[in-house]
Amino acid sequence: MTLDEVTPRIRTFIAESFLDGDPKGELTESTPLLEWEVLNSMNSALLLNFLREELRVEVPLASINAANFRDITSISKLVSGLTAVPAEGA
Amino acid sequence: MDFELSPLQRERYAGINAAVAERFAEHETCTDPELVRLAWKDAASIGLTGMCLPEEHGGAGLGALDTALGLEAFGRSCSDMGLVFGVAAHLLSCAVPVWEFGTDAARELLAGMAAGDVIAGNAMTEDEAGSDVGRIRTTAKGSGDAYVLEGEKSFVSNAPIADVFVTYAVTDPAAGFLGISAFAVPRELDGVVVGPPLPKMGLNGCLAARVRFEDCVVPARYRLGAEGSGGAIFQHSMAWERGCLFAGYLGLMERQLAECVGRTTRRRQFGRKIAGFQAVSHRIARMRQRLESARLLLYRACWLLDQGRTDVGAIAMAKTAVSEAAVANSLDAMQLFGASGYLADAGIEEQLRDCLPTTVFSGTTEIQLELIAREAGL
Ligand SMILES: Cc1cc2nc3c(=O)[nH]c(=O)nc-3n(C[C@H](O)[C@H](O)[C@H](O)COP(=O)(O)OP(=O)(O)OC[C@H]3O[C@@H](n4cnc5c(N)ncnc54)[C@H](O)[C@@H]3O)c2cc1C
Repeated sequence: MTLDEVTPRIRTFIAESFLDGDPKGELTESTPLLEWEVLNSMNSALLLNFLREELRVEVPLASINAANFRDITSISKLVSGLTAVPAEGA
Repeated sequence: MDFELSPLQRERYAGINAAVAERFAEHETCTDPELVRLAWKDAASIGLTGMCLPEEHGGAGLGALDTALGLEAFGRSCSDMGLVFGVAAHLLSCAVPVWEFGTDAARELLAGMAAGDVIAGNAMTEDEAGSDVGRIRTTAKGSGDAYVLEGEKSFVSNAPIADVFVTYAVTDPAAGFLGISAFAVPRELDGVVVGPPLPKMGLNGCLAARVRFEDCVVPARYRLGAEGSGGAIFQHSMAWERGCLFAGYLGLMERQLAECVGRTTRRRQFGRKIAGFQAVSHRIARMRQRLESARLLLYRACWLLDQGRTDVGAIAMAKTAVSEAAVANSLDAMQLFGASGYLADAGIEEQLRDCLPTTVFSGTTEIQLELIAREAGL
């Protein structure tokens, strides 16, 4: 998956799931998600689940760190760089 | 799809069940630290303290589902649920992260942990950080060779008898949940202060205490994983705990169900067995249904873990189903036993006290329901 494909999907997921749809359009690709506590313990678990189940990308535990999850840009780069998990039956 | 356990799994379950029944036939819940340690050695002699650790570290190399089956057998035949809980917490929330993320030096602890000689306690919760673990205030400052830990953990199961604590502290305050690092802290280090046993309502065979780290210098070799990966390590260990530990409660429910069937077929009122009253038999039917449906969810969650899939929703559903079934079934058992269930001798009131905290520890029911709902797109 390319960065262009991944970024809007992650952005939509974060806006819809954690920011009530982001009605004021405040979420940007550089919004500091950790500093602003958008990614707390529960939301980070849900985001990882979304990446695994919807984008078919398993993020290795060693890559779950502040540098990779700082903002939408860094998450998207991480995800597009990881090998997609093959779809079931493939 | 195959719902049957394999012959090997059935054999292993039966073997552990028989060994636990033999070793713990006379065992009663005890709170004397020396006696608790002896009970741990008995559990270790059956292999219960190291089931999922690799053989090279003294374990049996079992996966999540097989570990769950072992703990189910433990809960089936040992009425001291505090012991079952303590051993499971030691294995799943402490030994697993040390094995999976520890340095070679930290992994040297594992052989003792598998043998039940080195007992571990998981120290995450703080006064101001329960469900919201990202709010912990314990800090770990430094880098290079050592960290200085400062802070207090408010509820650490096994603490009074523990030799090592798997704990979590903030290393990067700006990074929130991903600014937390994990450590295995040997109790013998200066600055580890364990409080007196906390009085509690149940799971009395598992002693718990507060643990304070006062200027506690922890060598960097005891850090688990990279700096900042403590949050993810904690979640990973909770996936193991929410899956496997709760299997012990499946065992308890099965034992309790058998006791209820025995009691209601022996007890006569109005000239007949009380099991002959539909209000009684249907109560038992519901207990059985809750047990079996919770068991399916738990086995599936563990099976997914064995496939390398930490499915948040599946694990949360299993944890919620088992804990709510355990509480509901224990209330039903009290009702079925009448006044004798309320007296300590029958062991039914102890089961209720041991089941009540299941909806709180390892992540409360409300948090699990939140995860299930949000994962469903709400
Ligand atoms: C028997 C037992 C053993 C334990 N062992 C350990 C241990 O070994 N190590 C350790 O670190 N901790 C341990 N704990 C502590 C346990 O992890 C915490 O109790 C648990 O995480 C809940 O935190 P809390 O008690 O502070 O409750 P709180 O987080 O204060 O919650 C209180 C209530 O508010 C609800 N609530 C909170 N946030 C939300 C939300 N966002 N949405 C809906 N409802 C919410 C909760 O569900 C709960 O009903 C143990 C607890 C028990 C009972």
